Amino acid sequence: MPINNDADFKAALAELDIHQQRRAAAAFVESVLHLCQDMRVSSAIAMVKHPGVGESELASAYQAVNSVRVERFTQCGKEADWRSQAGHFVAKAALSCVRPADESPGNIAWEAAMSARMARTCESVAEGTGTDNHEAETQYRILYDLLNS
Amino acid sequence: MSASLSRAVDILKEVIDAPIASYFNSCVHCGLCAEACLFYTESGDPKYTPIHKVEPLRRVYEQEYTLLGRIGKWLGLSKPISDEELGNWRELVYDSCTMCGRCTIVCPVGNDIVYMVRKLREGMAIAGHAPDGVVGATKRTVEIGSPMGVKLPAVKAQIGHIEAETGLTVPLDQEGAEYMVLLSSMEIINFPEYLSAIAKIMKQAGKTWTLCSTAFEATNSGIQIGVSDLAKVIVSRIVEGAERLKVKTVISPECGHAFTAIRWEGPNLIGRPFGFKVKHILEVLDEFRAAGLLKTEGFEEERLTFHDPCQIARRGGVIEPQRNLMRMVSKNFVEMSDPGKYNWCCGGGGGVSANDDAEEIRLIAFKRKKAQLDEVKPDKLVTACANCRIVLEEGLEHYQMDLPVVGLTEMIAEHLVEK
Repeated sequence: MPINNDADFKAALAELDIHQQRRAAAAFVESVLHLCQDMRVSSAIAMVKHPGVGESELASAYQAVNSVRVERFTQCGKEADWRSQAGHFVAKAALSCVRPADESPGNIAWEAAMSARMARTCESVAEGTGTDNHEAETQYRILYDLLNS
Repeated sequence: MSASLSRAVDILKEVIDAPIASYFNSCVHCGLCAEACLFYTESGDPKYTPIHKVEPLRRVYEQEYTLLGRIGKWLGLSKPISDEELGNWRELVYDSCTMCGRCTIVCPVGNDIVYMVRKLREGMAIAGHAPDGVVGATKRTVEIGSPMGVKLPAVKAQIGHIEAETGLTVPLDQEGAEYMVLLSSMEIINFPEYLSAIAKIMKQAGKTWTLCSTAFEATNSGIQIGVSDLAKVIVSRIVEGAERLKVKTVISPECGHAFTAIRWEGPNLIGRPFGFKVKHILEVLDEFRAAGLLKTEGFEEERLTFHDPCQIARRGGVIEPQRNLMRMVSKNFVEMSDPGKYNWCCGGGGGVSANDDAEEIRLIAFKRKKAQLDEVKPDKLVTACANCRIVLEEGLEHYQMDLPVVGLTEMIAEHLVEK
């Protein structure tokens, strides 16, 4: 049955094991990846999609992506560049994907989904196109397709 | 006297008042303020001694307002300060002072060195020597309402995101609400989880609250730059919003100097008492805890420590609430050395993090925080200031320390019992 709301989306994500969560999270990040032009993030996402990715590779990717996340914070008092800020949230979403299993108390796919939506919100603020975006619906479709692939 | 000399002297003469005069007369040159300043302790350079940072002010005071100083000037024994010299002092007044107040608190004669720095900043701002980054932030605050250029549509976008994420309503312009919540631009841009946490906490506590469309921003860069007129404009905006909405309490966010500006300096700036209370979010959360309105479950398993934001703890007097809240969700909470009132600054407050010229010295100063953390070896660092949070993250990244940094309000929200 198609997913149409966050309650069903969250319930479906809760059924996934950690590997499936990583795959779903990576797919959510890919949907907004163009908002963060950084090789460290795209490489990490490509790596996560490989079956059998090891914990040491994840830890290494985690360090690299965390650096991008920190670099892309808007510092206090600096003029907000919402497009650049979208990159921060893409990196944050990617960080959820590569977080080592023993450091992941929550559902990493849900966390990645929320950060990816924030990235899209930043994009809409940057473009002045209003505050509505359809990233949630896009994520529902992505998850539905993954579950049925 | 040349025009350049005369201008600098005239401007500094204007900012010297009775407290400044008494502080210069009281200074016993003991050097304790040097040992209290992380820019001095971590660089070892005596030019960063706090009282030395206000040397241009001292020279003008002595030459213009003391008998011996006037005679010395008349005989050509002392040199008047020039505009160029004042400009060169920017590094000491803006780049290497976060106005953290540690120097003030250790001064044995009670000199408020932060006040002196602020007065010198006021003079430097008038003379056109404030850093571009801080000037820009202040200009945006006055013109747009936010130092980082955040406008209402961006706030509404965040509200929409949070409402979708939490399933809760984030009220805007709700007249008669008990609490009006202020945000810092940093929270709107970098940490939307703060507003999300507020929505969850208020829901559980059963309290009415609102954001204000004309006064959502708490940050006051007029205070940072040292221009009281601008600081007054920014405070007035909040006062008008709170009085229009008839709220009982305004909540200052997880931002250090915003609390100083609205809680401690606000009524003086506008020249009258507020018709509402101002509390820091940590104070409000602790009140909820004490009243049994904050129900949490579970404990953080990791070893946690807390970084006290200077303007909230030392300058703001909020020290115990954060500790009560930490103990509520942690059984392994360890204090760094010099906690609470004597905490060491992150190194990025007082406009320093908005100032590109200050980056190098800021990272040198961060070695103090690094040493404190190395000593207690926490698994997670908790704080209650969005600016501290980013400065800490940048410092940890620079020194390759793998340590997550989280906001306390957000951590409390994660432990709320779900009804």
